[in-house]
Amino acid sequence: MSLEATKGRMLTFNIFRYDPQEPGDKPKMVKYQLEETPGMTVFIALNRLREEQDTSLQFDFVCRAGICGSCAMVINGFPTLACRTLTRKYPKGDIMLMPLPGFELIGDLSVNTGKFMRELAERLKLWLHPISDDLDVHRLEAPMDPVEAAKLYELERCVECGVCVSACATKQMRETFVGAVGMMKLARFELDSRDGRGLEDYYHVIGNQDGVFGCMTLLGCQDNCPKDLPHMQQIAYLRRKMAVTLV
Amino acid sequence: MLASYVSATGHPASAKADKIQSITGVLMGCFLLAHLHFESSILLGKEAFYTVVQFLEGGMFSSTGHGFPIVTKVFSVFMLLVVMAHAAVALRRFPAQIGQWRALRRHMSVINHKDSHAWFWQLITGFVLFFLVPVHLFTMIANPEIGPHLSADRVYNQNAWLLYALLLPAVVIHAMIGLYRVAVKWGLTTKRTGLRKLAKGLIIYLIVIGLMSLISYLIIGSDLSLPVEAYRPS
Repeated sequence: MSLEATKGRMLTFNIFRYDPQEPGDKPKMVKYQLEETPGMTVFIALNRLREEQDTSLQFDFVCRAGICGSCAMVINGFPTLACRTLTRKYPKGDIMLMPLPGFELIGDLSVNTGKFMRELAERLKLWLHPISDDLDVHRLEAPMDPVEAAKLYELERCVECGVCVSACATKQMRETFVGAVGMMKLARFELDSRDGRGLEDYYHVIGNQDGVFGCMTLLGCQDNCPKDLPHMQQIAYLRRKMAVTLV
Repeated sequence: MLASYVSATGHPASAKADKIQSITGVLMGCFLLAHLHFESSILLGKEAFYTVVQFLEGGMFSSTGHGFPIVTKVFSVFMLLVVMAHAAVALRRFPAQIGQWRALRRHMSVINHKDSHAWFWQLITGFVLFFLVPVHLFTMIANPEIGPHLSADRVYNQNAWLLYALLLPAVVIHAMIGLYRVAVKWGLTTKRTGLRKLAKGLIIYLIVIGLMSLISYLIIGSDLSLPVEAYRPS
C-alpha cells in the first residue's frame, strides 16, 4: 500500500494568534484543519499551515531536529519542541498551540528566547573564566580527563529552548529567579576544571532567593526538558553544596 | 568577584531559611504521622486510646497512673514555636503580590504540570493552616485534658468536630506533599513515581482513619451524660 493511498485523519489545530506590532490586534485562538501525513510532527504541520492556509502565521524554527531549540511552544499544555512532537501522539487529533509563557512575545507562537538567554548569560557570566590570565596561544592545551569531559558534555546538551523557564511557576512569579537553565549552566562551569571560579563565587550568584534557595522544587524543568537534562539532581546537588558552603 | 554584577548576592540567610523550612517541615510531618495514629487508637476502643494517652502523658511516672496533662500543654507550646518558625520561612514562598498570584494562575491555566498543581494545593492548605493550627494548639494549651470521654466531650459538646473536619484534610494534604517535596528537593531520592504514589496513598489513608476516629468521638460524645466524667478503665 503506497503512502498516497492512506487517507490521513483530519487534525484540528487551535492556535494562539496575536501580533503586538499590529495596532488594535487582540489575542485570539484560531482553528485550522489539516490532513495528517505519516510521521507528521507539529513543526511539519505548522509549515504546511503557513504554506497552504495562512502565510501570516508566525513561529520559529531552524534545524527541525531538536538541536537549535527554536521551535519550543506549549502543545496541549506541555511546553516542548514542535519538531520532536509527532501529531499521532494525540489520538483525538485536537492540538492546541500556545507561545511559551514568560518570554517577550514576537507574534503568534514566536517568542524572544534569545534576548532572555543573552541577558541571563551576561548576568550570571556564563562563559569560561580561565584559572590563569596569562594566555598563550602557542602553548598546548592541557588534556581533559575523559570522565570530566563526559560530565561536561552531558550538561552542555542544553539547547536554550526556554522550556524550563516556561514550565517553572516559580520563575513566572518571580522575575529575577535564575531558573533551571541558569543553574544548569553554572553547574557546568562549576564542574569544569579549567574554570577559576570557586564555590564562593557561585554562591554569590545562586546562593540566594534568586537561585537555589528560591527554587520551590516544582520540577516543571525536570518534567518538560526536551533534552532530558537532569535538572532535579543538578539543582539538589547545588543546593546541598551551597547549604554547607556558607553557614 | 561576581557579586557586584547581580541584583542580589548570595546570603547565608537564604540557605538558613531553606534549611529551617525543610527541618521544621519534616519534624511536623513526622509528628503528624504519629499524632494521627495515636488519636485513631480510639478505633480500637476506649481502653486502647486511654492506654496511649496515659503512656504519652507519662503515666508511669505518676502514682495514680493517670499521667500529667501538663505534658500536652508543654508539648503544644513547643509545637506552636515550631509552627511559627515554619510559617515565618514558608511565607517567602507565598505569592504575596496580586501580580504573582495572577502569574501563578495564568501559568496553571496554560501549563499542565502535576507537581506544580500539587504545590498550589500546598499553598492553599498552608494558608488555611495559618488560621486552623493555632486554634487547635491554643485549645491544647488551655484545656489539655485528653481521654476517651474528655476528647469526645470536646468534639461533640464543644463542637470541636468542625475545627477537626477542616483541619484534618488541610494538614494531611499539606504535610504529605511537603514530605515528598523535601525528599526530592534535597536529592534524598530520585524515585519520584513511587514516592508520589506513597504520598497519595498516605493522604487517603490518613484522612480515612482521621475521619473514622472523628466519627467515633462524635458517637461516644453523643452517648455521654453531662457533666462529663473522665474515663477510668475498669
